[in-house]
Amino acid sequence: MVAADADGDGRMTFVEATVRWLTDPASWEGPGGIPARVVEHLALSVAALLIATVIALPAGLAVGHARRGQGVSVGLATVGRAIPSFALMGLVLPITQAYDPANGFTIYPTLFAMAVLAIPPILVNTLTGIREVDQDLVEAARGMGFTEAALLARVEAPLALPVILGGFRSATVQVIATTTLGAILAYGGLGRYIIDGIAQRDDGMLYGGVVLVAALAVGAEALLALLQRLAARRSAEPIRANT
Amino acid sequence: MLDWGWIGDHLPQLAFRTAQHLELAAIALAIGFAISFAIGVAAARWRVLYPPSAAIAGIVFTIPSLALFAAFVPATGLSILTAEIPLVLYTLVILLRNVVAGFDAVPADVLEAADAMGFTRGRRLLRIELPLAVPLIVAGLRVASVSTIGLVSITAILGDALGGLGFFIYEGMTRFFATEIAVGAVPTIVLALVADRLFLWLERAITPWSRRTRTATAG
Amino acid sequence: MRIPRTLALGASVLALVGACTTGGGSSAPSTSTAASGGASAPASAGASPTIRLGSDGFYEAKLMAEIYGQALEAKGYTVDRTGIGVGARKVSAPALESGQFDLKPEYIGSGLAFYEPGKQTGDPKANETALQAVLKTKGGGITVLDYSPAADQNAFVVRPETAQQFNLTTMTSLGAVASQLKIGVATDCDTNPVCAKALKDAYGIDVTNATKLAACDTPMAQALKGKTIDVGELCSTQPDIAVNGWVVLQDDKQTQPADNIAPLVRDDLLAKLPDKAGFEKVLNDVSAAMDTATLTDLNKQIAVDNKDVAVVAKAWLQSKGMIS
Repeated sequence: MVAADADGDGRMTFVEATVRWLTDPASWEGPGGIPARVVEHLALSVAALLIATVIALPAGLAVGHARRGQGVSVGLATVGRAIPSFALMGLVLPITQAYDPANGFTIYPTLFAMAVLAIPPILVNTLTGIREVDQDLVEAARGMGFTEAALLARVEAPLALPVILGGFRSATVQVIATTTLGAILAYGGLGRYIIDGIAQRDDGMLYGGVVLVAALAVGAEALLALLQRLAARRSAEPIRANT
Repeated sequence: MLDWGWIGDHLPQLAFRTAQHLELAAIALAIGFAISFAIGVAAARWRVLYPPSAAIAGIVFTIPSLALFAAFVPATGLSILTAEIPLVLYTLVILLRNVVAGFDAVPADVLEAADAMGFTRGRRLLRIELPLAVPLIVAGLRVASVSTIGLVSITAILGDALGGLGFFIYEGMTRFFATEIAVGAVPTIVLALVADRLFLWLERAITPWSRRTRTATAG
Repeated sequence: MRIPRTLALGASVLALVGACTTGGGSSAPSTSTAASGGASAPASAGASPTIRLGSDGFYEAKLMAEIYGQALEAKGYTVDRTGIGVGARKVSAPALESGQFDLKPEYIGSGLAFYEPGKQTGDPKANETALQAVLKTKGGGITVLDYSPAADQNAFVVRPETAQQFNLTTMTSLGAVASQLKIGVATDCDTNPVCAKALKDAYGIDVTNATKLAACDTPMAQALKGKTIDVGELCSTQPDIAVNGWVVLQDDKQTQPADNIAPLVRDDLLAKLPDKAGFEKVLNDVSAAMDTATLTDLNKQIAVDNKDVAVVAKAWLQSKGMIS
């Protein structure tokens, strides 16, 4: 098993090349270094997740609480899941580019596609989580005089939190993995290593990029899984009307 | 707007690619389901299996799909196998979670009652756990079918021979031909919606006692 | 060095292959059926094994493969098209070497640079010779047949307004004002001897902060069109150039390698052919009949008029009297 070596100092397996690249101090320095790229990658991912949350969370809460409109929401989420992200990027590109020739090319198309990617899991999990809350509890709270808003905020949402966080978890992993596409439109991020690694036939850079993306995604997921578990423990406690 | 003439001229190709798309998706779902079911049953029985299987499946999900597809070419060649391996892997990720969740959803007191009544593990699995786990499993199939139908489009990077409806999306994008992109994207979405409805109906048919529809959650 | 085009946004750019990505680089067994009879059988195309075609993913490569394929079919050969459009050179080259297909159209300058970066020159004959030397050692031997006058090379291109504003006609004239313009270059420019270094040495153009995109591809064309960049690295036969009225800057110091098209054929297929000379003649005739202007026009028919690759190939072959 051999892989081409970019600086021509002899053939090595791609595992060795990757380890070499990851442990090379030069890989960690400068505007093209790993820390900088990780920051770029996270910046885009987090921005997309924020946009998706602002859209999907309130919608999910409303639909779940009102117990209406689930069909439409799930249908939209289905459509969102079926469209390949790169196709979305290509479709949106001319529009965003006309708006801003610089960022409208390198950032906005990817941002848009990633937000669309993140919406279905957040939306579906939120509305399901709210709907699945024990209706006896909800009725009891109503009987105690909770307003609908208070009901949602103080009873349903806290109980649904683990499921809602599960949606975030899924969305986060998908977005982090797919933000790599941004590099095709000259964005930075970890996708840069993958694309440039292919173009420059530098397997170390290429697989190093893949490893970093996987590590970042797994790390984010582990963090959110932890939060999810904490939320599950908390929501098992009884709800008191005056807390 | 749309070039209806082009669409009319290319109906045979559209039919071919749609059939190919369904074939690729169906194979991935069938195999993915078989594997995740086997692993899920085992993981429900021996809990210790679950974290590693979930972790491996989760990591696979993070590898950019395009990279995963192309990575298999030198080993498995230009064949349906190369397309199916990543598709099955992605299906596994979704289904495994739901299969295990399904078995987890069986109330502990029901299991105890079964044990008290003298059910063997095997009969308990077949007659008690499975039927109760089915709703969540079918819900998982619902999400997996939609996701797989979307992913089949990406197999188009493996060449003209594959890709299903993704062939039109790719070719349409290289030449900025909106009609062709639509011919690829719209049927894909329609297929996904149909699959979603189908599994929803199946869910309801299997669980007549459930008044609420169960929506598969992600994670 | 010519960077292979990619399919759509992101498609085959991420189509990567290390020679050993999945552990064990064993090649897939060749599946061509050897149907030819004994040595005394008369040479006939019908007794030949199936010719398996392959190509990179962008439409120009698919077009050339389809043209070669249809020309062969007209002479009675059986052709298999499974390998057409498999992805970037990083996928198609190993696929050819491991015998997953037999025949692939190649750009001799970029093909050479893929195996021996830095050896490509502006002389097509030299490139062909060097490429053949390398390919003799690959996959059991691969033959480079005659190259065509048609060449698809890297071209640096500007919008007409930019050309007017700065009086740009050649790369040297660009060098004078390069720092004022946003430049788009190929993703491998930094490490490619005919890119960053050549641009610096020959024209004084510094591309360290240039926007990196897949050369000759949709994102680059779109970036130039939408004014994200002012100078783009495209391919000379790309129809976007003519369609948008873009100005190609002349490479007056000859830094870009000659990238004529030539079919690559596996030696084991050639050995199984009852009429090797006849087979090669079919391909060589096609190559000789193609030129850069025609190729650009055929590309336009595919990318702008939205005609199918197979239809365009057939029409051209018919116009040349190579098929009826």
